[in-house]
Amino acid sequence: MPKWGMVIDLDKCTGCQACTTACAMENNTLPGESWQDVLFYHEGKYPNTSIKWFPRPCMQCENPSCVHVCPTRATYKTDDGVVLIDWNKCIGCKYCMIACPYGVRFYADERPLLEPDIRQAFPGSDGQMWSPPFQNPESDWSKGIGIQPRGVVSKCTFCYHKISKAPAGVTDLDEDDPDLVEYVPACVRTCAPKARYFGDLDNPESKVNELIANKRGTRVFEHTGNKPQVYYLGEHGTVPKFDPQFDDQA
Amino acid sequence: MNVLETLITRRRFLQASGAASALAAGGIGLRRLNPISESKAQRLSSGETVVTKNVCHQCPARCGIDVYTTDGRVHGIYGSMNSPIANGKLCPKGHLGTYILYDPDRYKGPMRRTNPNKGRDEDPQFEAISWEEALDIVAERLNGLRANNESHRFGILYGRGWGASCAGLLGTFGQLYGSPNIAIGHSSMCSDGSMVAKGLTDGNESYNAYDYKNVNYLLNFGAGFLEAFRPYNYLMQVWGHIRTKSPKTRVTAIDVHANATNAAADRKLLIRPGTDGAMALAIAHVILTEGLWDKEFVGDFRDGRNRFESGATIDGDDFNQRWVHGLETWWNEELKDRTPAWAEKITSIPARHISEVAREFGTTRPAMAIFERGPTAHSNGTWNGMAIHALNALVGSLFAEGGMFYQMGPSYGPLPVSAGDYMDEHAGRVQERIASGELPRIDMKGTNRWPLARNMMQEIGPNHLAGEPYKLDTVMFYLNNPIWTAPDSKVWEEAFKDIFVIETSPFPSESAKYADIILPDHTYLERLQDAPTYPFEGWPIATLRTPAVEPLYDTKVFGDTLIEIGKRIDGPMGEYYQALDNTENVLRHLAEGFRDDPGTNGVNDFESWKREGVWYRKPYHWRQRRGVFYEWDGEGYNRRMSPSEVREKLLRTPSGRFEFVSGKLEQHADYVEQEFGIPAERAGIIQWVAPEHPGGGDLYFSTPKTAMHAEGRGANIPHSISLMQPVMGGRRTVYLEIHPETARERGIRSGDRVRIRSELGEIEAYCRYFEGTRPDTVVLPMEHGHWAQGRWAEGRKPGHSGEITVNRSDRISGLASYYTTKVSVERA
Repeated sequence: MPKWGMVIDLDKCTGCQACTTACAMENNTLPGESWQDVLFYHEGKYPNTSIKWFPRPCMQCENPSCVHVCPTRATYKTDDGVVLIDWNKCIGCKYCMIACPYGVRFYADERPLLEPDIRQAFPGSDGQMWSPPFQNPESDWSKGIGIQPRGVVSKCTFCYHKISKAPAGVTDLDEDDPDLVEYVPACVRTCAPKARYFGDLDNPESKVNELIANKRGTRVFEHTGNKPQVYYLGEHGTVPKFDPQFDDQA
Repeated sequence: MNVLETLITRRRFLQASGAASALAAGGIGLRRLNPISESKAQRLSSGETVVTKNVCHQCPARCGIDVYTTDGRVHGIYGSMNSPIANGKLCPKGHLGTYILYDPDRYKGPMRRTNPNKGRDEDPQFEAISWEEALDIVAERLNGLRANNESHRFGILYGRGWGASCAGLLGTFGQLYGSPNIAIGHSSMCSDGSMVAKGLTDGNESYNAYDYKNVNYLLNFGAGFLEAFRPYNYLMQVWGHIRTKSPKTRVTAIDVHANATNAAADRKLLIRPGTDGAMALAIAHVILTEGLWDKEFVGDFRDGRNRFESGATIDGDDFNQRWVHGLETWWNEELKDRTPAWAEKITSIPARHISEVAREFGTTRPAMAIFERGPTAHSNGTWNGMAIHALNALVGSLFAEGGMFYQMGPSYGPLPVSAGDYMDEHAGRVQERIASGELPRIDMKGTNRWPLARNMMQEIGPNHLAGEPYKLDTVMFYLNNPIWTAPDSKVWEEAFKDIFVIETSPFPSESAKYADIILPDHTYLERLQDAPTYPFEGWPIATLRTPAVEPLYDTKVFGDTLIEIGKRIDGPMGEYYQALDNTENVLRHLAEGFRDDPGTNGVNDFESWKREGVWYRKPYHWRQRRGVFYEWDGEGYNRRMSPSEVREKLLRTPSGRFEFVSGKLEQHADYVEQEFGIPAERAGIIQWVAPEHPGGGDLYFSTPKTAMHAEGRGANIPHSISLMQPVMGGRRTVYLEIHPETARERGIRSGDRVRIRSELGEIEAYCRYFEGTRPDTVVLPMEHGHWAQGRWAEGRKPGHSGEITVNRSDRISGLASYYTTKVSVERA
């Protein structure tokens, strides 16, 4: 059984947000409710201003605080290392959202982030929050895959509907391999500069372990003890401090 | 207790706790108490998923896409692994194509306007009609114009033409129908500045193809390499490669504000808008004075001793030029005084930075200087562009490995009929009047008003309004929206009130709001359509769209609409289109050319083209190595080319060399003198010309495109809007970037609503403080402010930048100077 993990090389990432849109269309998330967001920061005074960006999927923690706090055991860790939500059990209490140090859980029932509300353009049917004609046919509410019902929390599944079908024994899901491309998470598959890698963290021979070792992979917020299964390489991997000037006033 | 009550109404909690059935009987949350976990635990469909080949439509790049369709519904788009541009990857826009197909605001069939009044606030009151009716209405009008000897008053204006089966049909249509205004492209509102600058210096009036994979230094003047430069997807693939290869490619990026491109570069330089040419000249000055030029391409002093000294002239007889022309004149008449200290005063870039860049650029091979609208969308754009491109000659990157070339076209077969056989007397007469200059185009391109421009679309609105050179009667739009995108667009809103407008877009737009007839196109996922590549790596590529699904609505691919109109024109023109039949027939004939020249991927006929979605043929045929030009002989770059062959095929200037003194500009010396006040004898010299900044304000106004700007439609794609301007947090609007000092001087707080004003009027926007924007500049991405583009686009702030952008164009290239207006900003 693999322990799936992701490596993101911030020296190659161009901040283009293709991971965000690929995820949004693969998983039919609502505009702005980005399971795979890219956060942007800028620092310094003119003319020496730097812009940094930080792509942020669910960290799929080894020791996930969201799982620990869930009162209904709706959110759980799979044997192959992925944190999922059973929408049949989720009560939408949002404890997991508070417990998550990374801000990668979403509750989309409130006022839409973008208006007009796309859910009114494509009203929900069959219990779903919305039902666009371009919906991915893959759906499994027990794993938080597909379009959720109202009143539940949703999150990145590492595209579990894809990776869970990968041939047994594969060390890395490399999108450049025609035999594996369909099992690769959407964000990894589309990443043009190839800043993302996806593989088995338990296999010492895997490409992801090679990159973590050679390029000194780091994890975000190690002090929380969550032990993310997403590693970052490169220089942009710091998260600048919160700047209150960027409180949205519009 | 409230919390508990809330929880208890949540059906999933009930289900999980085993109380579901009991409480269901009580009616709480009954709506969804069926055993959903079973019914939803598998694919929603049992149908098979089919993958079809298509080409993305959201920028010009031609990325091949795999379209995933199950049970007749498209639900996924990924880059095609067999597309040499996409290589399995996509940019952020590419995935959103399904929205284009299922856009709820799409037109659902042909329509006719019933409200004769036109304007922003006039509801066209469209009523549905049949295709037969719609085409007959158009044909009757066009036949009438022709009968009255007024066929020139029909124009077709197009934007993103894709290939031989759409825009490629327009030229013939104009020839047979008899109008100089069929067709007028949008290139002067796009990026003609770089094309014309290259045409004037190396003789190829085209965008470049680039060998990025092998470049070791990139000097980028205002191209949004990691945002809007194309092919964006491929550029990012290349970025991942060049930034991790050995040696790592070093990048200097020059712009007027901090953005993703220069943030990711090794050096960011924030330059005063419109002054890039001064910096390029100073870099050239350093390259020459420090002896860093490529001696094998440029040549050298006969005795090998460098005589380039600041302020001192050289004797041309001492210098043996190889593939360049006019170096002595360029140095003596211009470059010798263009020192970094001189350029600092103009550009605000410290002289030491200019010298550092020059030394890096001059000592790292292969190196390329790239540029696009940043330096060229100004009144002096062509001069800026020529100065930048001259750097490529100085370091020998033209046609070199790791350098730049020009794109080869595909091996298409001939069409089944020849237009020349179907010209009637009227068509012949009009051609003669065009050739003699008696009948100019409505935009006056090619007249003494715009002798060097490629198109002048932005002049059509004003010219029609003035009746100069004449009034148009009927206009057909294909994939463009000039009533919104033209600078000073409100003039177009007035001008097009009395023109009969035929719109072919599948979507509402400002131009469509002025339409009298809507003949809606398929969206791209429904089309069969060819698309030869934009300049890429030089070797030819022809991509093909195949429909993923049957058309959702009563629409028709534009090429067929045009052919159907053609069939209805009286006389031999109608017979030509009867013989041409339809676009599939056209495409089948094009593909016949592949039989004799099968693609590298094995594509050799129409069926294999459809299956693969692309025909391409490697390699590129020419290479310059150490100052010698070679042609591909089937096995390698082995056949040495003569100077006359180089002139014919590669450096197509009067001298057959790269021209620091442009022979073509010298032929227009009087025009240059008249428009720029440059003495005629200096007209051809690549030189510094100061930009002009109309508008009456005190701040430069830059309106770039962001990575999410999906061509023509980004403003109505919800996911695009929510990701539009990530650096500034623009997720519902796009913010005006303003430097904090500039804002505070005007009493503006971050987040305030502000008025941006020029002599044309004012628009409103929300602003945000940004230390990355020059204090003398404000930046507002061009995206929102639509008033007729769909439910997500309409009414979204900020106002449209085009309404306060003065319609001023570069007098050489004709490129609309989108970034040259100055504005004032105040709290609203």
